[in-house]
Amino acid sequence: MNFIKRFFTGMKQEAEPVTSVIAEEVEKSTVVSQPEPQPQPETEAPSNFPLERSVLQIPAISEGVFPKDSDEVLIKAQPSPTGDQCLFTVNRPLMTGNSWFFSGFESAMESSLAEALFCLDDVETALVCESTVTVTRKDKTLVDWLPLAKEVGTAIRDALGVGKGLIAEKIISNLPSEEEIREGIQKVIDTEVNPGVAGHGGNISLLAVKGNSVTIQMGGGCQGCSAADLTLKQGIHTSFRKAVPMVGAIFDETDHTAGLNPYFS
Amino acid sequence: MPRVNTFKVKVQTGQQGMSEPVHFNFNNHKLPFDNVEGSAESGKVFEGSFDVNSFAHSLTLVGPESGKWEIEKITIELDCENEKPYTVQFGAVTLDDKTEVNIWQDPPILAFDV
Repeated sequence: MNFIKRFFTGMKQEAEPVTSVIAEEVEKSTVVSQPEPQPQPETEAPSNFPLERSVLQIPAISEGVFPKDSDEVLIKAQPSPTGDQCLFTVNRPLMTGNSWFFSGFESAMESSLAEALFCLDDVETALVCESTVTVTRKDKTLVDWLPLAKEVGTAIRDALGVGKGLIAEKIISNLPSEEEIREGIQKVIDTEVNPGVAGHGGNISLLAVKGNSVTIQMGGGCQGCSAADLTLKQGIHTSFRKAVPMVGAIFDETDHTAGLNPYFS
Repeated sequence: MPRVNTFKVKVQTGQQGMSEPVHFNFNNHKLPFDNVEGSAESGKVFEGSFDVNSFAHSLTLVGPESGKWEIEKITIELDCENEKPYTVQFGAVTLDDKTEVNIWQDPPILAFDV
């Protein structure tokens, strides 16, 4: 009750509490119909008890990030709330159908986009997926992305201006099939990841594989856990990339607000 | 979850409307709107607002107690503490006595052109 009171301290008080409405409805129906007392099955809820509604989720209508038909290369930078990475969205495709994770300068060879990015001192890793690049930085103490983001924007424009393959031909021609990715990732989940998170009552499931990008979902004690982001980035990502080096983007579709039993609650 | 100062909802009803008062659920508490204008009848536009002054965990628009409510578009303007006011639009949905629709969305993450 204290919890409810706390929420409503700042709210208007005219609204009747839901419980009193229910009580009134029960009383009213008793007066009007004067039913003869009949035994009711104990498990059945009263007919006038409000039904629990299901919450429909509909996607928000997004207005385009960029103006349509612009010849200019437009780039939007969006630092993550934790500040450890920044998403750059470009108004043209960078890698279609697949994604690629560049772990460092050595991996950038012959990929003009990655070469341009790793020429910047502070760029640690880069993930290219469709029309986006996600960059992590070496200096984790800095939270202001603006100076580096501007340099990254220039690097992306330079690479697009070169005109040759943004991603090395050897990478694209050696991409594994979705089935190979699925098998590899599922094996890591079963043998390494899930046994690890099971100690906290958690579990990870593979939802989808598209190209070499995978989508996972965290459940049990991981769902809503305050350490889920750490588990995802330092545990799951590392395990996946070590076991299946050709895996690209790793998306997490967990609704952490719906977690009922998080380990670190 | 931010603290919501106030929010304003605009609902464009489609072919099938309803004549009941429009309610919303804030953190699972069903409440009527203030400053109501228009209606939720067929083809009409309903507008209502509420001064919440509390932290949002969930915010939904509740379906009618009987019949169906065919919604074409929902626009919600949110004014949250320490955030710039923002607007979210949702598309078509049909509600009834067993459903409600989520109209909450976190404030947009700051993005800038580079």
